[in-house]
Amino acid sequence: MIPSDHFTRFYNEVFKFLESQGEDALEAYWLAISKNQERHILDLIETQGLEGMHAYWTHIKIEENCDMDLDLDADRLELRMNVCPSLSKVMDNDAEPMGRYCDHCAGWIGPIMDKTGYHMVYDVIDRQKPQCVLRIYRDPERARAAEKDAKLLMGWPDHKVG
Amino acid sequence: MAESTMRYEEGGNIHLDFHGATNTTIDFIVERFGVAAMDEIFRKMGRDVYASIRNDLIAGDTRQLVRHWKHFFDREGADYDIAIGDDEIVLTVRRCTAWHHVKGLVGHVSPHFCDQTSRTNEAMAEGSPFAIDTEITGEGSCRQIIRRRA
Repeated sequence: MIPSDHFTRFYNEVFKFLESQGEDALEAYWLAISKNQERHILDLIETQGLEGMHAYWTHIKIEENCDMDLDLDADRLELRMNVCPSLSKVMDNDAEPMGRYCDHCAGWIGPIMDKTGYHMVYDVIDRQKPQCVLRIYRDPERARAAEKDAKLLMGWPDHKVG
Repeated sequence: MAESTMRYEEGGNIHLDFHGATNTTIDFIVERFGVAAMDEIFRKMGRDVYASIRNDLIAGDTRQLVRHWKHFFDREGADYDIAIGDDEIVLTVRRCTAWHHVKGLVGHVSPHFCDQTSRTNEAMAEGSPFAIDTEITGEGSCRQIIRRRA
């Protein structure tokens, strides 16, 4: 058994392999993970909207030992990751970190937001630092305005940026 | 047996749903790239991620691997025991948390799910005086045996 604690280091090896197979392989994998994650979050979004997302990430914050702040208002959810345990473990690793490790997060969350009609702005800030800011809006215009302030805006399959 | 150091000693809360993502990953890789590709990724886990355990095994020291087993099977609440004998060390897993969590989560456990254990064990022991054999004894149960190579 690869312990659940070590999943992110396994993920890192999978990303390295898929990157060697081409961008399409990486994107297909993120979509598979996105589909997998729907069982944990889709019903919450469809029935409770932003509050459902807040409930999901509050659970993740505890279970995955995240140092992060969540802020919910009527029109947007902000998730500010101060210390990401996932990238932290990948960097604290005897194997080499995959350079684009952070991309997977937008890669699985983005398609779910597209499917449920929300608008995601994912600022990774710096792929070498375990910090990021995720904002999810009801209003697409507010999302487009927020994109302008991002330091390193992340895209996902069917939502390319840059 | 004296305590040894351990390279990755996670604490805090535990997120068992990652085993579901591992199951999805195995199905994805095997379906698109074949079992050999999946095996090679597991081997890289054993050789590179667990380099510290492998280096100890190459030096003839099994303690880190045994400590790793105890630490993570305890954290995951598995039903297991470890028998340390003169000629072999046997880890008997009667109820694997990972296998049963996936079964409960999605109802389908990949036929290659336990390859993560077999292939990673083999890779950790590669080039060392030891072999680690993994015997699947049932659904969510196995025996993992460390023996000196003949």
